[in-house]
Amino acid sequence: MTGAAAGLVDRVRGVQLSGLATVAMLVVAVAVNSALQPNFWDSYALTSNFATFVPLVAIAVGQTIVVLSGGLDLSLGAQVTLASVVAVQVVDGSLDRFPLAVAAALGVGLACGALNGLVVALLRLQPIVATFATSFVFSGLALVVLPTPGGSVPFEITTAYRDSVLGVPVALLLIVALALVWLVLRRHRVLRHVYAVGGDADAAYASLVPVARTRVWAYVLGGLFAALSALAILANTGSGDPFVGNELTLASVAAVVIGGTALAGGRGGAGGSVLGAIVLALVTNIIFFADVPTDYRQLVNGAVIILALALAGIPALQKRRPSA
Amino acid sequence: MSTPLLEMSGVRKRYGGVQALDGAELTAVRGEVHALLGPNGSGKSTLDKTLAGTVVPDAGTIRIDGAEARIGGPRDAHALGVAAVYQQLSIVGDLTVTQNVVLGLEPARRFGFLDQRAARDRAGAALERFTAAFAGRLPLDRPASALGPGERQIVEVAKALARRPRILVLDEATASLHKEQVDVLFDVVRELRADGVLVLFTSHRLDEVFALCDRATVLRNGRTAGTVELAATDEDELVRLMVGDAPHQAPRAARAGAAGAGSAAEGPVSSPAATLEVRGLTTDRLRDVSFTVRSGEVLGLGGLQGQGQSELLLALFGGAHVGAGEAVLDGRPLPLSSPVKAARAGVALVPGDRGRQGMFAVRPIQENLSLASMHRRATARLALRGAAERGAATAMVERLRIKIGSLADPVSTLSGGNQQKVVIGKWLLDRPRVVLLDDPTKGVDVAAKEEIYAIVRGLADDGAVVILNSSDNRELTELSDRVLVVFEGTVVEELDAEAISERRLISSALRLGPGETL
Ligand SMILES: Nc1ncnc2c1ncn2[C@@H]1O[C@H](COP(=O)(O)OP(=O)(O)O)[C@@H](O)[C@H]1O
Ligand SMILES: [Mg+2]
Repeated sequence: MTGAAAGLVDRVRGVQLSGLATVAMLVVAVAVNSALQPNFWDSYALTSNFATFVPLVAIAVGQTIVVLSGGLDLSLGAQVTLASVVAVQVVDGSLDRFPLAVAAALGVGLACGALNGLVVALLRLQPIVATFATSFVFSGLALVVLPTPGGSVPFEITTAYRDSVLGVPVALLLIVALALVWLVLRRHRVLRHVYAVGGDADAAYASLVPVARTRVWAYVLGGLFAALSALAILANTGSGDPFVGNELTLASVAAVVIGGTALAGGRGGAGGSVLGAIVLALVTNIIFFADVPTDYRQLVNGAVIILALALAGIPALQKRRPSA
Repeated sequence: MSTPLLEMSGVRKRYGGVQALDGAELTAVRGEVHALLGPNGSGKSTLDKTLAGTVVPDAGTIRIDGAEARIGGPRDAHALGVAAVYQQLSIVGDLTVTQNVVLGLEPARRFGFLDQRAARDRAGAALERFTAAFAGRLPLDRPASALGPGERQIVEVAKALARRPRILVLDEATASLHKEQVDVLFDVVRELRADGVLVLFTSHRLDEVFALCDRATVLRNGRTAGTVELAATDEDELVRLMVGDAPHQAPRAARAGAAGAGSAAEGPVSSPAATLEVRGLTTDRLRDVSFTVRSGEVLGLGGLQGQGQSELLLALFGGAHVGAGEAVLDGRPLPLSSPVKAARAGVALVPGDRGRQGMFAVRPIQENLSLASMHRRATARLALRGAAERGAATAMVERLRIKIGSLADPVSTLSGGNQQKVVIGKWLLDRPRVVLLDDPTKGVDVAAKEEIYAIVRGLADDGAVVILNSSDNRELTELSDRVLVVFEGTVVEELDAEAISERRLISSALRLGPGETL
């Protein structure tokens, strides 16, 4: 019994530590950023900062669900690209067709997620390999749909995206909305099963959880959040780009880990990932404002992600040591 | 009583080289508590799982209420009214107790949104009778991983009860329960029986079986050895059914003695005479374990599975947190603080679960063999010569008669028996003075078993101290010079060469009620 009690203490400490670590990183990132960017707290700068956060926040929520289920989706960035180019071709500058474009983007996310889910759950391929492979399919399709950057988003959308309501940036409201969607999903049976399957798939199977179906759902939800990410990118940039999602995949995994979700699955949640995504976006900002030469930006960005992953991984490493 | 509620016949299931079930039969009626008995590895859990749907048998039919049941998964079994308490519990540690009890059947409102209050009510109702086990307060919102083993066991039981089964499978459900909890469980089972439920009950405690069950079906080597009315049966009869009329196998020491003064008398061949003395070893799972083993001796660890045998080996290998006690090898204390130090001091552990602990499945055979002993052959402790590595590995492959294509093939291409030989070989290259074997032939086919036995005997004859934990009583009889019977983390009996027999091992393991040792 003392062992169990000690285990509980360890556990609580581990969870709090990672939550604290996420918040600490956020504080440091905000502090450094506001030091380097003199007008960081101006409403214009805030609005445009939040506008760049939304895509990463959305994809991070999607990645969180897949990771919680015990999987990993390396095709999410490619799905963002595909959904965005399809949507921009559908909307073609006309506000009337915007609802159709939203539906098209979500349809793309759903289809891509379903394909990943079927490949992983039914063919039982390793998620990393399977989604790495499908990412090439999705990127290839994106190039067919929109070979070169172009297309245009109605200006009403781009304007509204950078507007604010009662002094609150619309982009911030969107982030709050994404968090709310997550909270609603958490109360759904599918998400409960996602946690169970990611925590212990054999036990979940023996407990009547439809394991394969749950895995498919996780990838489908991942795809739907990738579609939301794509729409945010379009609203932010105003046009389509067949390479736009490339760097989002790694960033989404990094945001999940920084947010304290265990890559092994079953433990964590999207709340942390939202903060993790904001930390990463701020780091990109910092690199920009620190006058890092353009050629080195990607290198520095990659190094920072690895550093963040390593820091976030320390509690997990401590936990893995035999406690008995 | 016209048609039996449950009829299982001709059930067969093979795992790699092991025939876990070989035509098992079981017939039971409603309103009965039916014991399913048999020695370790006789197929009880596998038979339970084929009924509960987590294992799909290779052949066989299951009839429920006379109609053939097609059970392709746990959900099919649930639809037929079967619920199970698994020996390897089906609890998800990261979920709360409530979430575990309702898992898979969560009460939901519209569109699949969870009804948390209904879930708590249902879990609370299922656990209510066991409240005493949780110090009076049900931990409904605590993560299951924070519970003790007994508490988890109760959650698993409550989860099965919450499914309101017609057939309830209890596989070693009392294994980590205290006496009072066992009593509560038995009350519940008797009520279920009165309501016409069939309870299939597996336990290693024969007193429980006699106290609770009406009839018993005994499995032996995956076959049904017989079904008896317990009122008209005694323990001897049950043990006879479990053991069968297997020819008596003389233990190793007796055979060696008969062959005249063997190598043991001439002294060890390769390493100096050693004695391992363990005094008062205590860990989370072990209490005050003391014994002495001479070099050249094979000391068996017997008893029911999971009574602390593996923990004892792990502790000697520096893999457990040792609270008290020491192990002394030839007058020098063994470092019990880390496996690396233990290995340096000449201790080797051959784990039973070779897939997880013992090898790197996708790496070449040669690397797997070389790994533990590289430091011996390294030039200036740094550089390895390919030729030396290959030479050592080749010699070991020949010595252990491992059947391989090429040293460069991944270990995962080998059969189970040959994989296990690679794991053993890896440590032999390091010339250990103490060899700890943890169920080394589990899941290994018969021919490979014999070869592994020869290796183990060879190790002892070369002067190593060998400690063998085995869930297979025949293996213990065949290999051990002495056997320590382990029960609930402590040594309760020592069987010397003359006393070792399968029958004696089984009865020593079974006859001990918890009250006699605590
Ligand atoms: N998943 C598995 N993989 C390989 N072998 C297994 C597996 N499960 C059981 N076995 C083997 O099948 C035999 C029967 O096991 P089991 O049904 O657990 O026996 P029991 O419950 O009577 O102790 C044993 O030899 C065991 O090693
Ligand atoms: Mg069993």
